[in-house]
Amino acid sequence: MTHATDREAIPEPQNPLGLDGIEFIEFATSRPQALGGLLETFGFRPVARHRSREVGLYRQGTMNIIVNAQPADVPRTVMPTERPVISAFAVRVRDAQYAFRRALELGAWEIPVRAQAMEINIPAIHGVGESLIYFVDRYDEFSIYDIDFRAIPTVDPHPPAVSGMHFFGIVQYVGPDRTADWTAFYSQLMGFTPLPNQVRFGIMPRGLLLESPCRTFYLQLIEPEETARFAPMEEHLQRIGLGAPDVPAAVASLGKRGIEFLATERVHSSERGALTKPLLGSVMFELVKSEARGTAAP
Amino acid sequence: MIFHDFGMATASLVGSLETKLAAVRNAGFSQVMISAADVVAHPGGTAAGVRAVRASGLEVTGLEALRDFEGLEGQLRDYKVDVARTMLEICADLGGRLLLVEASASKHASADPAVIARDLGKLAVMAVPLAIRIGYKGLPWSRTARDFRQGADLVMRADAPNLGVVVDAFDVLASGVPLEDLDILDPDQTFLVQISDYMWQEIRSAEEQIATATHFRVFPGEGAHSDALAQFVSRLDTIGYCGNYSFDVYNDDYLQMPPEAVSARARRAAVWLAETVLRRALPVPNLRP
Repeated sequence: MTHATDREAIPEPQNPLGLDGIEFIEFATSRPQALGGLLETFGFRPVARHRSREVGLYRQGTMNIIVNAQPADVPRTVMPTERPVISAFAVRVRDAQYAFRRALELGAWEIPVRAQAMEINIPAIHGVGESLIYFVDRYDEFSIYDIDFRAIPTVDPHPPAVSGMHFFGIVQYVGPDRTADWTAFYSQLMGFTPLPNQVRFGIMPRGLLLESPCRTFYLQLIEPEETARFAPMEEHLQRIGLGAPDVPAAVASLGKRGIEFLATERVHSSERGALTKPLLGSVMFELVKSEARGTAAP
Repeated sequence: MIFHDFGMATASLVGSLETKLAAVRNAGFSQVMISAADVVAHPGGTAAGVRAVRASGLEVTGLEALRDFEGLEGQLRDYKVDVARTMLEICADLGGRLLLVEASASKHASADPAVIARDLGKLAVMAVPLAIRIGYKGLPWSRTARDFRQGADLVMRADAPNLGVVVDAFDVLASGVPLEDLDILDPDQTFLVQISDYMWQEIRSAEEQIATATHFRVFPGEGAHSDALAQFVSRLDTIGYCGNYSFDVYNDDYLQMPPEAVSARARRAAVWLAETVLRRALPVPNLRP
């Protein structure tokens, strides 16, 4: 009898890792207080500090942001400077060790454990530029933060999100003609799929959108504009996209808190989205109209 | 300059890395293929070798060569993956965008296309964060890909955007591969063309081919196959290839000649190919990104 797979291509499972959204996004900066202040203006609250390192945990709703001021001790990882940079993101998976081993087998670069912000063994691989990608599996029964972090007393450990905001995506700047390379990287290692060009979110239409297999998270790959193609530029994670069910309401409440949004002819707030002015020299947040879905719901 | 897309290889020259780079630059070339051995054997160490390349102002065509990589299993495979990582890191440090991979000649390598594609795919993923492309080149004495045709099949099978084919003119001429077969190449997945000639009219045995390939190559226009080389380059031009050409000339005589004398010969070859063969009369804008 002919085996079933001889007759037709059986696709690999679309979500081979059981990917389930973003657990945290990490910034590196040598001025953690300045970034912390900015995050608080944005509605995040400091909820915990690392037991032994210069690392803080900020939270609102379902979003965790780690602020890492610890000097890097491994090549090709971010050395904190005054301008904060997105130095890592952590994806939730069914089995972190499986996801990690599979990624290595497919060609990912391993990060030595001691280089990471966490001390419990959260496996990580090299991502774009100097950034890392963590695999986290213990997000249901107990939290990875319980081990490495000390809660800040008198602070609500689960502050609600401003205007229902949740992680929506990360914008990654890539070099000229590098979109296909990164698409292959994310689709092979994590099961991301490119969306057709007519599918667009928010107000920043350039680049290619990759959708996570859990459909709760997007990576947007952006190549330099024509004139900038020959200028040297490092590839990096450029900004965080935050979903909000009602963007104008979110813009209004963040505006009251002191966050300024771009209002130029080309880029201005609308029902679809909004973009903050660059903060602390490099930090930008983009708002995108989105209902919280699946596990991203508060 | 009408031969901006032609470059020399450090392996064609003798002397210190700095001497080689100066000879290449002074002959008017803007790019150079770096042999990994030239960087790591620098008396000041690898970092000094990297600095010398960066300080030369020459564009790095690529780093050569990762050998006997694909088709292995177990410990041997892990070992080669580790070697590949080191080569990729050196390539990135140099500012290189291409790692040249020669098809395996190892007795231990599997010839199973699925296994080879698996390994080439892994290498391509490894190269993505470093912004490096993998150029896979057939070798006449390889067990996995004997020429660009088999190389292209495996590259297509591995299906990675940063994995492409390297074509070596010597292997095409010496093995008698019909020039029409170049038409199978996808110009966008052809990452480099290496070009050289040799002195004999024909090559009688596999041993003679290996010896010729590694000791008796000469620059285009100096050997016995100028017409065939001219047709080879014209054909690539016709199918839309617009990548780089690298002179991979390995010749024992050149290794006892002053590097300037050798690079002057390379310049003659570049001018011949650009002016006479490709008929570039005037400086043309560099259309490549």
